[in-house]
Amino acid sequence: MSGEFIAFFILSLFTIGGAVFMISFTRVVHMVVSLAFTFLSIAGLYVLLEAEFVAVTQVIVYAGAVAIMMLFGIMLTPHREQEEDAGRAQKVVAFIAVAAFFLIAFFIIQGTTWDPSVHHFTEDNTTMIGKTIFTQYVIPFELVSVLLLVALVGAIILAKREENDSE
Amino acid sequence: MDQMVENAWLIPLFPLAAFVIMVAFGRQLKTTAAYIGILATLASFVLALFTFLERFQEGAETFYQPVHWFSIAGFDVTMGYEVTQLNALMLVIVSLVSMLVHIYSLGYMHGDDRLPVFYQYLALFTFSMLGLVISPNLLQLYIFWELVGVCSFLLVGFYFYKPEARAAAKKAFIVTRIGDVGLFIAIILLFWWTGSFVYNDIFNAVENGVLEPWQITLAAILIFIGAVGKSGQFPLHTWLPDAMEGPTPVSALIHAATMVAAGVYLVAATFDLFAASPTALNVVAYIGGFTAIFAASIGLTQRDIKRVLAYSTVSQLGYMMLALGAAGLIGYAAGIFHLMTHAFFKALLFLAAGSVIHAAHTQNIFEMGGMWKNMKVTGWLFLIGCLAIAGIPPFSGFWSKEEILLSVYHAGRMDLFWIAVLAAFFTAFYMFRLFFVTFTGESNLNHKPEESPVVMTLPMIVLGVLAVVAGFINTPWNPVLGEWLTYGMEGELHVEAPAWISVVTVLFSLAGIGLAWMMYNKKSLSRDWLSGRVPALYQLSYNKYYIDELYDTVFVRPLRGIGIIVNWIDDYVVDGAVRLTGRITDSVAGLGARMQNGQIQTYGLVTVVGLVLLIVGLTVAGGYYK
Amino acid sequence: MSEALSQVPLTSYLLVGLILFSVGLYGALTKRNAVIVLLSIELMLNAVNINLVAFAKHGLYPGITGQIFSLFTITIAAAEVAVGVAILMALYRNRGTVQVDKMDLMKR
Repeated sequence: MSGEFIAFFILSLFTIGGAVFMISFTRVVHMVVSLAFTFLSIAGLYVLLEAEFVAVTQVIVYAGAVAIMMLFGIMLTPHREQEEDAGRAQKVVAFIAVAAFFLIAFFIIQGTTWDPSVHHFTEDNTTMIGKTIFTQYVIPFELVSVLLLVALVGAIILAKREENDSE
Repeated sequence: MDQMVENAWLIPLFPLAAFVIMVAFGRQLKTTAAYIGILATLASFVLALFTFLERFQEGAETFYQPVHWFSIAGFDVTMGYEVTQLNALMLVIVSLVSMLVHIYSLGYMHGDDRLPVFYQYLALFTFSMLGLVISPNLLQLYIFWELVGVCSFLLVGFYFYKPEARAAAKKAFIVTRIGDVGLFIAIILLFWWTGSFVYNDIFNAVENGVLEPWQITLAAILIFIGAVGKSGQFPLHTWLPDAMEGPTPVSALIHAATMVAAGVYLVAATFDLFAASPTALNVVAYIGGFTAIFAASIGLTQRDIKRVLAYSTVSQLGYMMLALGAAGLIGYAAGIFHLMTHAFFKALLFLAAGSVIHAAHTQNIFEMGGMWKNMKVTGWLFLIGCLAIAGIPPFSGFWSKEEILLSVYHAGRMDLFWIAVLAAFFTAFYMFRLFFVTFTGESNLNHKPEESPVVMTLPMIVLGVLAVVAGFINTPWNPVLGEWLTYGMEGELHVEAPAWISVVTVLFSLAGIGLAWMMYNKKSLSRDWLSGRVPALYQLSYNKYYIDELYDTVFVRPLRGIGIIVNWIDDYVVDGAVRLTGRITDSVAGLGARMQNGQIQTYGLVTVVGLVLLIVGLTVAGGYYK
Repeated sequence: MSEALSQVPLTSYLLVGLILFSVGLYGALTKRNAVIVLLSIELMLNAVNINLVAFAKHGLYPGITGQIFSLFTITIAAAEVAVGVAILMALYRNRGTVQVDKMDLMKR
């Protein structure tokens, strides 16, 4: 058993464990923290997959920005000590549906013959991404920047508008 | 005037035009409507009279003008008109009486808000009745037959705000409808067997032996059932007395002179068919005879002036049927003759009764009395009518009734003969009971009755004159009308009958009058010497033999019971199924609406379930690229 | 080194992604707090990212594109979270709640 395998085992365990804890915790803050744990573990998985830049981005954006934003969202809105779930019927149905989906996807994954070959990136990861983005994907990149701007403005308007009204 | 017959089709169209005009202008016409109606019927009458006179000439042929209507499965169905002796006579009678009633109504209905409506109905009726008479085939006849039924319904229910009038209108419609079903079946059967609706085709088929005897009998009896319904013969007579709830001019026109005579006319018009079936003739004769005596015996005890006249009408129609059925060709002539005279004197009686009611404001004869003093004209005319219907010479009723009795005697039907004589006795009695109670003695009214205006008395006078003289058109020694009516028909017309018959029948009538005089005028005989001794008989007659109650028990209640059951089934089974469908749909929709709960998570869940099902389905089915 | 690294097969990554996705889906469908629902959705996006990055290395057409797509996804997810939280704020001010089951305006 190689070191990579052990690393994958531990990281995936953390990833899934964090997700499951997030679902089963009853306090919101605990949920966010456990999810941040999951995000970090996923960053580790990215490293295993030779995607260092993505891993770093994951840490910065998810474990950093998104988790903090969520904490702000939680702090600024009311939350009970014990978070309620949906009705029992809905939970059961949702569970059955999700389980069915899981099983189907699982058997599809298991049943597919994957190409066993492994691609190894020879160049530096960040360099490759930079080159590709600014050549092949420059238009999507610019669009995303516009989208981010719009999201920024939209978020500000949404969050502020009522304040003006109430004054 | 040679072309008059060919223009006979115009006769019914005048009242139709009047009807259309009146409907178009509605109630704003006020009394103008009456003048339109009078003019139209006058035009019809004049035309009908000329047609009749032309037809009356020696050797005039039946005029028949068919117009192609439609073809179906190889059969040509025609409409058209024909002028035979019979319907030429009928045209005159109908248009004359109709015209007189139109005039009379101007006075009788004076001040009624719905006068234009009344005249609309009258015009429609006149059109329908004339159309009925002029029809050369059974289909056309049936259409008009139903139309007069509708008019009768409308006019009986003219005072629809009175519950009795409503009930009477419904009864008149439904009871005659029972008979109409018979006629309808007969028409269908005849068309099936002979392939034609036209009288002449059917008669030819009968003559040429196309029809089996049983077919003829069946068709004739079914036609007679229609006639029974229309002419108020037993057992469908119950509607006619109730129909007296309508305005009195209507009773005179529809329920005395014309429409109820349509049954007799129908039998006469299809007489060739009846003549081929002795059984059918017997049925006609015995039903007629029974109705004559039966209705007369009810008339003895009724207290409503119009009801007495109604039973008298039923009785007289029975007479006509009796003559038609019992005595062959001469009976045919006698029946039609009586139909004519009866139309005159019964219309006269009804109009006079209407005049009396107009003055007395009541229909109960025992609340009147002593009207003679104040209503000389009406009184005299009523007396003429009574004498005519009682069969006192030389009034018209004498000649026609005499003719019937002679023909029946000549045919050797002694049972029917004595029934007829007895009925004549009853007739004389109840008519003069009516006369004496109404016009003589002390007045029971708390106001002074006034003579009706000229517009009402004038038509009565015309009818009165006719009631006196109309009989001379067909005397035993010179049967002009009979010979003319039966022109071209096979059979013996001249009868040699013993003179004592006339004497006996007149004596019977006089006895009836005398009895009535003793009981109701002289009061030398107690009014209830018979009813006091045999109260059962009186009750039986007064309650019309409980026929209405019998029908109520035998037909109406069981039918109503069935109706309740069926209604229940309809309410709970049929409607239940409908409601169940509705409720299922509703609950399914409710389910759907509950799913539409605005919960985004539920929507998401449904989406996921749908996705899973889709994948499973595609997997099981093998996907798109199987 | 590369031989040792390749010991973890593609299937394992895909399964991790699948499990994360399923958990996220379940959470998104059942949690009542809108913030948690948003979190669950982030989880699902992450599961997708794992797949993308995994396919960038393994599979028939490996290449840097998978990583770039995951970067785009991350960006958009960040924007989504920002807007989502802003919407929650506005909603809270208007309706006084962030419970998903109270948000039934679509019913009307």
